[in-house]
Amino acid sequence: MDPGAQIYASACSTCHQPNGAGVRGAVPPLGDPAFSDPTVLVAIILRGVEGPVRVGRVTYDGAMPGFSGVLTDAEIAQVASHVSRAWGDGGAPIDSAVVARARAKAAGAGPWKGGQAMAGLSPALAPQPAWTGPAPWAADPAVLTLINEGRGEALACSGCHGPQGQGGDPIPRLSGLPSAYIAAQLDAFASGRRSNDQMSGVARALSPAERQALGDYYGRQSAPSTATPSLGGDRQAGARLALQGDWSRDIPACFACHGPSGFGGGPRLPALAAQQPAYTAAQLAAWASGKRTGDPGNLMGDVARRLSEADRLALADYLAGLPSNPAAARKDRR
Amino acid sequence: MPQPIETPQDGPGPASSPGRGLIRDLLIASAGGLAVLVVGLSAMSLGWIGDKGTDAPATPRAAREAAYFQPPPRSAIPDGPDGEAIRRGEALFMNTPANAAAFTGNSLSCVNCHLDGGRRANASPMWSAWGLYPMFRAKNGRINTMEDRIMGCFTFSMNAQASSSGGPPPAGHDIYRDLQAYMHYLATGAPSGVEMAGGGYPKVDLPSQGYDPRRGAGVYATNCALCHGEDGQGRTNANGQPVFPPLWGPQSYNWGAGMARINTAAAFIKTNMPLGQTGRLSDQEAWDVAAFINSHERPRDPRQTGTVQENARRNHTGGKTFYGKVVDGRLLGGGVR
Repeated sequence: MDPGAQIYASACSTCHQPNGAGVRGAVPPLGDPAFSDPTVLVAIILRGVEGPVRVGRVTYDGAMPGFSGVLTDAEIAQVASHVSRAWGDGGAPIDSAVVARARAKAAGAGPWKGGQAMAGLSPALAPQPAWTGPAPWAADPAVLTLINEGRGEALACSGCHGPQGQGGDPIPRLSGLPSAYIAAQLDAFASGRRSNDQMSGVARALSPAERQALGDYYGRQSAPSTATPSLGGDRQAGARLALQGDWSRDIPACFACHGPSGFGGGPRLPALAAQQPAYTAAQLAAWASGKRTGDPGNLMGDVARRLSEADRLALADYLAGLPSNPAAARKDRR
Repeated sequence: MPQPIETPQDGPGPASSPGRGLIRDLLIASAGGLAVLVVGLSAMSLGWIGDKGTDAPATPRAAREAAYFQPPPRSAIPDGPDGEAIRRGEALFMNTPANAAAFTGNSLSCVNCHLDGGRRANASPMWSAWGLYPMFRAKNGRINTMEDRIMGCFTFSMNAQASSSGGPPPAGHDIYRDLQAYMHYLATGAPSGVEMAGGGYPKVDLPSQGYDPRRGAGVYATNCALCHGEDGQGRTNANGQPVFPPLWGPQSYNWGAGMARINTAAAFIKTNMPLGQTGRLSDQEAWDVAAFINSHERPRDPRQTGTVQENARRNHTGGKTFYGKVVDGRLLGGGVR
């Protein structure tokens, strides 16, 4: 398979769909002439977009992750060329030097804030809607103190999980996980239903309200991914399991429950994308062995028991190579 | 006890009910010595649920799978015009609202009921359905081609009446060509004109306690609400992309859909839900939760011309349904938009 098509299948297709048609009312289709300019394509793939964008006659108000942290210049050139060839103007292949220049320009810029912010990239994009942004939210100073300084047994979260909860293998990423999920895990550590020497002590030292407040905080973060595939897993095999599952072994697609692209499937179904790989693999093993329990109806335990060691490594590395959930701060619509 | 409890004493649905294919499945499966595949399902799944071996993927499942017809893999779709049509058909099947935008009135896709892209045995796979058409269907009293059948899916399951075109793709539309190209591909090497093991949803006999939506509410809360939501409206992510399909209300299948019949929903649920947990629910739980789900209002039956009761007499006599019945003091079938 063409390398650009392969990257598209594993990193883009869950939202934009295998045929580029998008999802009605949610994810724009590819191939709109205004977005086919290589400069526009590359700029969007690198930085991602947050907020309203007009594509054709439809305005989409969503969030797309930037891929600058998870794809190389050559890979972005390959996938952009694939998109252009498959649905765009089919012009000359995009050179990785073009991507390198755009990357230098985009350094540290974060996602495009709505269509208007990127309208200067090409005259064909106008008119574009303005970005209004989410309602301002400020973390409770007491929560920030807990995170950054800790309090006795309640060690500072940032010491291990990083200042924005990005994690550092094998310490898990917390940034952008569902608030209710984080709070529930802290409750489980406190009660002993989930076991981890370090976390049990921390969680017991926190009040239930503090656990909830920490969940609220991390649920609103959208730190860029710091995960790197590092376990030697077969990422293509991982992509197949995540996207399609393996029904011959009764394994549903991970993303059927954890959401398209692994960005989460609801308050109790955490995001998987950009999770630290050794953590993911260890948790899958813990589910399989029965060391970790407490999932509703044993849903996760059942699936994990059908995964082999090679599957766990493949999945962990595939997920670690995905960008983080760009929409963590946005509320699930339903 | 108030209304909506039905027990087997009510008698089974008419022999011509659309569920008869499932009955035949079971008979054929028994005759072929394959009954163990159906009957033993829950025991076997319990068997490997209890298997703690983490590095030995469920061999009983693999053995059972091998007994079913195996459609060709995705990777074998050919190049050229045929392959392009197959891929378009697959895209329609997986993501119907985007690829048949003018003809779908809700957020459902074919794959929501025909799991694994129409490949999954006992989830009404396309490789089994393909060779059965054209066939007579009591639902409309005539011979149906596969195109007619798919048109029915758009009309009822995709609620095409609420789409921008106001109806299903017109006869002869390319959507039917592409979907049939995909089904034909999945059925490569399958026999024609015979019911195949793993076809349809395995019928679940009405249990001794009948069905009761109030018991089903408890089953739903325990087993379904996590994904489909307490309110049955499914879940979408922050972009509005569907994650779990809505089970009732304006974005779900309408009252004319097969899945709105309690027996059909019970059969689907028993074998296929919760996803990846075949056999978790008892027959009783499957019927009760199917009754609960189908005791909620959903888009109107597009065949309705007179009153709901008139349409109930005309079109809802096969199978078990709350259409046109009063549940908790409300007449069901009026529809929601």
